[in-house]
Amino acid sequence: MRSGIVVTVVGALLAVSLLVPPARAQNPLVVSVWGGNWKDTVEKVVGKAFTAKTGIPVEYEVGGTIDRLAKARVAKGNPLVDLNFTTTHVARLYISDGLYEKLDMAKLPNTKEIAREALRSDFHVGSWAYVYTIVYRPDLVKEDITKWADLWKPSLKGKIAMPDFDPSHIITIAALMEGGNEVNWQKGEGRLKQLKDSVAAFYSTDAQSQDLMKTGQGPVQVMLSVNAYHLQEQGVPVKVVQPTDFPGVVGIDTMAIMAGTKKAEAAHQFINLALSKEIQTELVKALRAGPVNLGATVPASLRGQPGIFVSAAEWTERGYIMNDEARAKNLPAWREWFTANIVKK
Amino acid sequence: MKLLLLPAAAVLAVFAAALASLFRWSLLEFIPGSLQAGSLTLANFRAVLAAQYLGAIRDTVVLSALTTVCTLLGAYPVAYVLARTPSRRVRSALLVLTLAPFFTGAIVRTYAWVLVLGNTVVTWPVPMLFTERGVLVGLVHFSMPTMILILAAAISHIDPVYERAAASLGASPARVFRRVTLPLSLPGIVSGALIVFAWTLSAFPTPELLGGGKVKMIANVVKDLGLDSFNWPGAAAFAMLALALTLALLTAVGRVSAGRTP
Amino acid sequence: MILRAAVVALVAFMTLPTVVVIAVSFNPTAILSFPPAGFSLRWYENVLTYPQFQRAAVNSVVVTGGAVALALPVGTLAALALERGRLRGRSLWAAVLLSPLVVPGVAAGLGFLILAAALGLLRSRSVLIAAHVALVLPFVVRSVWVSVRNLDPALERAAASLGATPWRTFRRVTLPLLRPGLFAGLLFAVVVSLNEFVVSLFISNRVTEILPVAMFTYVVNYTDPTIAALSSLFILATFLVVWLADRYLDLGRVFLQH
Repeated sequence: MRSGIVVTVVGALLAVSLLVPPARAQNPLVVSVWGGNWKDTVEKVVGKAFTAKTGIPVEYEVGGTIDRLAKARVAKGNPLVDLNFTTTHVARLYISDGLYEKLDMAKLPNTKEIAREALRSDFHVGSWAYVYTIVYRPDLVKEDITKWADLWKPSLKGKIAMPDFDPSHIITIAALMEGGNEVNWQKGEGRLKQLKDSVAAFYSTDAQSQDLMKTGQGPVQVMLSVNAYHLQEQGVPVKVVQPTDFPGVVGIDTMAIMAGTKKAEAAHQFINLALSKEIQTELVKALRAGPVNLGATVPASLRGQPGIFVSAAEWTERGYIMNDEARAKNLPAWREWFTANIVKK
Repeated sequence: MKLLLLPAAAVLAVFAAALASLFRWSLLEFIPGSLQAGSLTLANFRAVLAAQYLGAIRDTVVLSALTTVCTLLGAYPVAYVLARTPSRRVRSALLVLTLAPFFTGAIVRTYAWVLVLGNTVVTWPVPMLFTERGVLVGLVHFSMPTMILILAAAISHIDPVYERAAASLGASPARVFRRVTLPLSLPGIVSGALIVFAWTLSAFPTPELLGGGKVKMIANVVKDLGLDSFNWPGAAAFAMLALALTLALLTAVGRVSAGRTP
Repeated sequence: MILRAAVVALVAFMTLPTVVVIAVSFNPTAILSFPPAGFSLRWYENVLTYPQFQRAAVNSVVVTGGAVALALPVGTLAALALERGRLRGRSLWAAVLLSPLVVPGVAAGLGFLILAAALGLLRSRSVLIAAHVALVLPFVVRSVWVSVRNLDPALERAAASLGATPWRTFRRVTLPLLRPGLFAGLLFAVVVSLNEFVVSLFISNRVTEILPVAMFTYVVNYTDPTIAALSSLFILATFLVVWLADRYLDLGRVFLQH
């Protein structure tokens, strides 16, 4: 009977889906990280070395910055991951709810070799750095862009693309231009409003940003340096600007250990390994991000490039590091103001 | 008979429990820069009554209504041919071509429209990408297969005898359509329209990608608040407000259309 | 005839992105360009060897299968109740049954996530399935309702008067007459569930992740035509299934009533 077979198959599927738990590997260290190239690099460069050294397998929970935060928040006390990669100001949100465990610096000797700025707090430490700066296609934009102020040029109307999820960078720069900073950012409001007609689109993902550059729909962008170098690798002719008026806005991605994890020991080992000279050198090559370990070797092609700092002095001079807490606190207000004044038609 | 609703009610109860889990956040104070919420407050509701939030709800309703009308107009002819054609070949071809967009998946379809609307395939006289026009095109395209299938099923239930009878009594094809086919297919039209309207109210990937951040529908605002700003109280309050308004709208529309079906 | 021209134009509109997607999938370089700059199958190779897609595909079959298996009977019963139950708040019930469609995915996703955590179900697939049933139910109810509206109760009464039990009447008279609606409902349920990623993103992890979530994760991070290749494979499968179904079942008869 045909219907009998159908019913049996359907019933079996139901039973399987409801009763059989999904398969899991044996006792791995679970690392929460962004997907795509980020996860691939962490896996290849850090994870493999870690497993070779300790015998502990590594598995990865992949997702965006915020959806991983949401999942961590609801799993408080009984974390589904052991180690967390996120951006430094978002880490403040984790800390505010007690989601991180205090780092045992004794177990992280390699922290002695990293830049001062990479020691973000007792709970999180930098893994690599980059800048948000101006990136553009010289073949499509027939003029030189050398400073942030150039973005306000009328000739660039309708050509700019910016991140939708985080207007921190342009808001900070506008504030700096008016003698303020990310804390008293309202000083830059007038200046920002002038940018309204210049923006062609707001992108919501890394991929969208790169697409807009590839297709030329957003040939001038406030873009993450790592993504820009990635595009160059793929043969897209983009120029990454070290602006002469104000530096690029630094982003630091960080590592931390989830409170309540049963693998704190292994997590500490992972972090320490990721901070070592050798691994940092590999990370630079693979990601084209800046190292936090001052002793890492940076290939000549990347030296001096925006987002790549090779000395303590460069950390201070060649990038603007925002105050984490101010950024975390102001971000919702920034987004609301930005949407109402810049994004809205 | 009424007991037959029980299983569906159970499913919806689970769904409601999920929504309630989020909505309880709407009464807690939002503390920027912290995951911890404050004490009980109505401030979130006051905050989402601001122009930019109400405007998003209004824009969404208008865009959804436009989408529904355009989809209806575009789907009916295809559905009619699909239901009525005597040729098996034509029917198979139409069915396959109608189903294919379904299986390209929301994300990829939207990316394809980004390409088509973005002056890389064809140059448009007016800007299409990152405008409401472009989002409308994407939304209509998204809804066409659904509307076609529902309409076709409804039209197929109409006995062609009625149409032939009207024609034999001297009615022109247009008159037959207007006085016989159209009214008899009304249940399908109402069903299809309600589904497309409701679904479009919560549309997310289409306005997100085709709108370039400039076209914000309800779902985009919820994401902005709940994710990018990590303002669960605000997102919950806004989602509740939007849901209440749209459900009221749906009930009203449903009641009006229920009154009109024969 | 105008009708024919209109239909051709409309079908062309519907098919345009499909054509673009298939064309783009053959582009040799990691750029979504149309027309493609050459011909390469490397993205198809990538799709078939990407481990996340393989695991996610299995999860999708399980979750979609479970959700559809639950939603079809539940929705059919609801449609029957709505049409024949002489309910007092019928429009309200109809709107409530439609409501999951209206809820923004992020809100539902966050809600299910919080609920799952409260119930200790974060590692289980059951929440995913429950969510999918709820999201798919409106389509099933609406589709079947159209057919229920067209059911002539006289036929069922005739069967009963000839001695058939209610269950037999249902199985041999009612259900076959509901076939167009049921088929449409099944189709919608499968398609919606196989494409659902917004809510699912929140309530799945690396082990329970379903295919649209894996595709979304990919597309957010990579800008190459891999997802176009995956979609083209889906389209090919659809063509095959529909063609086979039509050959052996005459879809027109199953799906459309004459």
